[in-house]
Amino acid sequence: MSKFIDRPRYTCALGGALATLRAIPRAIPIIHASAGCGHNLHNAINAGAGYLGGGYCGGLSLPSSNVVERDIVFGGEARLREQIASTLEIVDGDIYLVLTGCMVEMIGDDLDAVVSEFLDYDKPVLPVHTPSFRGSSYTGYELVLSALIHKFVRKQRQKTPLSVNILGIVPAQDVFWQGNLKEIKRLLEKLGLKVNTLFGEGEDLESIRNSGAASLNIVVSDIHGIQAARKYEEIHDIPYITTGLPIGAVGTEAFLRQVAQALSIDPAVTERVIAEEKAVYYNYLERLADLYNDIDLQRYAVVVGDANYAPAVTRFISDELGWVPELVVITDLVEDNDKEVLLKRFENYESGLHPVVRFDTDASSVKKYLTEIWPANHNDKYFDSFGPTVLIGSVYERDLAQQYGFPLLTVSFPVTNRIVLNHAYAGFNGALSLTEDLFGLLVAAR
Amino acid sequence: MNYLEAKSAPAREDRLKANIAFGGTLRDIKGCLKKGCFGSEGCLNLAGRRFSQTQGCQFTLSLAILNTLRNAVIIMHAPIGCGICSISNVGVNKTFKQLRDPQSEGIIWLSTNLDEADVISGGEKKLREAVLYADKEFRPETIIIANGCVPSLIGDDIDSILADLQTQTAASLVPIHCEGFKTKVMATAYDAVYHGILKNYVKKPERREYIAEPDLEKIKEKYRISRHVNVLNVGSMSRADELELQRLLNALGLTVTFIPCYAEPEDFEYSLESSLNVSICGTHDDYFVEHIKAKYGIPFLIDTIPIGRKNTDRWILKIAEHFGLEKEAQRLIQEENRELDKSLEPFRQKLAGKTAFIAGGEVRILATAEILQDLGIKVLGFKAHHFDQFVEPIFDSLEDLDDAIVDVATNQPFEQANILKRLKPDLLVTHVGGNNIAAKQGVPILPLFGPSYNYLGYSGVFEVARRLNRVARNGQFNKKLAENVPLPFKQEWYEKDPFTYIKQQDAV
Repeated sequence: MSKFIDRPRYTCALGGALATLRAIPRAIPIIHASAGCGHNLHNAINAGAGYLGGGYCGGLSLPSSNVVERDIVFGGEARLREQIASTLEIVDGDIYLVLTGCMVEMIGDDLDAVVSEFLDYDKPVLPVHTPSFRGSSYTGYELVLSALIHKFVRKQRQKTPLSVNILGIVPAQDVFWQGNLKEIKRLLEKLGLKVNTLFGEGEDLESIRNSGAASLNIVVSDIHGIQAARKYEEIHDIPYITTGLPIGAVGTEAFLRQVAQALSIDPAVTERVIAEEKAVYYNYLERLADLYNDIDLQRYAVVVGDANYAPAVTRFISDELGWVPELVVITDLVEDNDKEVLLKRFENYESGLHPVVRFDTDASSVKKYLTEIWPANHNDKYFDSFGPTVLIGSVYERDLAQQYGFPLLTVSFPVTNRIVLNHAYAGFNGALSLTEDLFGLLVAAR
Repeated sequence: MNYLEAKSAPAREDRLKANIAFGGTLRDIKGCLKKGCFGSEGCLNLAGRRFSQTQGCQFTLSLAILNTLRNAVIIMHAPIGCGICSISNVGVNKTFKQLRDPQSEGIIWLSTNLDEADVISGGEKKLREAVLYADKEFRPETIIIANGCVPSLIGDDIDSILADLQTQTAASLVPIHCEGFKTKVMATAYDAVYHGILKNYVKKPERREYIAEPDLEKIKEKYRISRHVNVLNVGSMSRADELELQRLLNALGLTVTFIPCYAEPEDFEYSLESSLNVSICGTHDDYFVEHIKAKYGIPFLIDTIPIGRKNTDRWILKIAEHFGLEKEAQRLIQEENRELDKSLEPFRQKLAGKTAFIAGGEVRILATAEILQDLGIKVLGFKAHHFDQFVEPIFDSLEDLDDAIVDVATNQPFEQANILKRLKPDLLVTHVGGNNIAAKQGVPILPLFGPSYNYLGYSGVFEVARRLNRVARNGQFNKKLAENVPLPFKQEWYEKDPFTYIKQQDAV
């Protein structure tokens, strides 16, 4: 039984579907819903994902049946049929996905029947049921991928050796999705893999169509993208592994070794790649040796983020930057058994630290946990205060940051106070960017 | 006008016979207005489209006002996606509120997160929990409950639930019924919000009464009210716009309160101690001012919007007439025009002869055309969100525009793309939102409004001129985009008439 949410950090199933299609070149969504759904979701996704923009046919260009009361009373199928036909006339795409909003699902419009009338069109037209009440953005990502895996991805019995697909990095919901996928691809290619990230640089609709040839799916998340991976397994016979989001040397080494092991890659190759990458990485990181120690740039930290970022960022700042994370709030909607999986990610820190981890979707809760983990000063002359502290979160944490005087780095959706193009936090390069951004906060006034 | 007994405001296609789909020239529109095509017997009232693009709904537009109200928590009673557009407002909202009150908080909202189970069994329980949590956690003056489509269809009796909860909360509870599917005309949102405001915020303020009644105090109070106006602001206005209008009205000896945007709940109570409600845009305000007049006897003025010199002149004069201050107003107008006219000269020299296309709300685009004409820019066409009776006063300020193209379309960038390809204007002045398409047509764009810029009054004319000149000086960003990034429409579309997909019959 779900509850109300204080300032959700995700959109709905329809929103997640739209964001996912936004990431596929020349994929055209056709929304069958009220007039405002597309506009509302675009405003959230655009701003929340560091100004992702509408893209080729997103934003206010999204074709939408804009059903009104009359359609809800008499059924919206005629209007949908008209809208699909006119979209195919006007909009130049390579695949069209018809997505539903709440109202047309509640009145029982037969989406699949109407869409099946367009089977003869020379480009695929696929139905996906994405009413908001089915779940969050992550659900939308799974639903779109499932539809594609089921109806669009070419079946290939012969798998290409050492070829992998990347799942679990949800476009827009991971604000740095494109940069992250690029870095993951770069690293895995160094292991000699053929990497299909499905979305992002170098990928297009053909990449998705050919994704059935992969010999392994790598889900870079403990909870997102798993349904898609299972669908691939069921329909295309591709096994999958789940990994944490690799950030930094520690995380990325573990990631590369895990993938290498799953594909039986020669450990010597893997170790050589890791050594090369680490040499470059430490060549950069070493620059901080002076300043970090000259002016004491160790910080306490509070991390508020989604299920991918929160564990990865926290371990990175603890085990590589040598910071002291005290509190982690994971803001996704997480099932109880998934919570256990995520909690394991916070065990066995090399630093020996044990940050307090909470699962909570409400923006107002973070402050409550903060007062829980660290007592307030009751006018004591000598008081071990919680500071200096850096807050790593979303833009929702800004008020809290201001109130406590903590510098804030926004990493997790929504990120409305930054422009994000190809910036990344994953891998070795991403960790260097994260280091720049975190320490950049601390020297901004120098 | 009295719709307040009803649960919610009627849709504008019914109340005002507003139109959202029309293509022609300004001459055609004027003819239609005369013939009553947009009126109660109107043939254009129910027009629609065979192809449509997403366009915003009364829920999203309602939030544009609701998010500005101070000391309020908003509950979005809907599935998780509804109203999530507030994310785009998180930062700026707080900044703008703090321009009015430095202590203000940013927007706080809860989603009742209706899921599949709630769709079957109703959302009442979650609504109750959310209201009680909001009251306890944030201690706001008011809790605004805006409901989306789903509760309306599953039949949640929101008003009764809230009436019951009201006995348990310190905050007053304000339902706003703004489900998107109820209307094609997004601007119905203004009525939906005003409906809630009228029913819940507007009431006579509780003032301390004198035990003995000194005449002087009574006379002072009466005088104060006799020289006070409410100006109804809109979410797209900036603080600078308000200060400019305030400056002009103060110059006539009038004092001003701005409602509804960025107002405190009690501002609506004190707004009844006023002698005139002044709208700056009929599209926003007629529902509110008509009701206030009917219930409290406060007269109102709905005429033009004070954008452009002639429109500002006219707006000031109309207000002055109400107070018998015509002579003072004429002097003010003369002096303001003299100064402004001189300041525009350098921009006229640079901008004269250029061509432009303007898109956005009906009242605002026509008024903005006056500024462009003042600068010697030729206006080739318009795209209006919708069309109704409120544009008529502005026609007087425009010269020789009968051949300009008018596309009535809420967003619908595909039609605009087709039109722009034909008209090839030098400049665009457009509403926010659909500009990623317009940008890829390579034309420099000045936003039609911006909550941190001045557009209204005399200073607004200068600011628009100054910024247009800057925008026109370097359009490389959009030009380069156009050279390198394709638009999503097929070639055949540009060969068709831009109004091909408008259909006239949409009646039940």
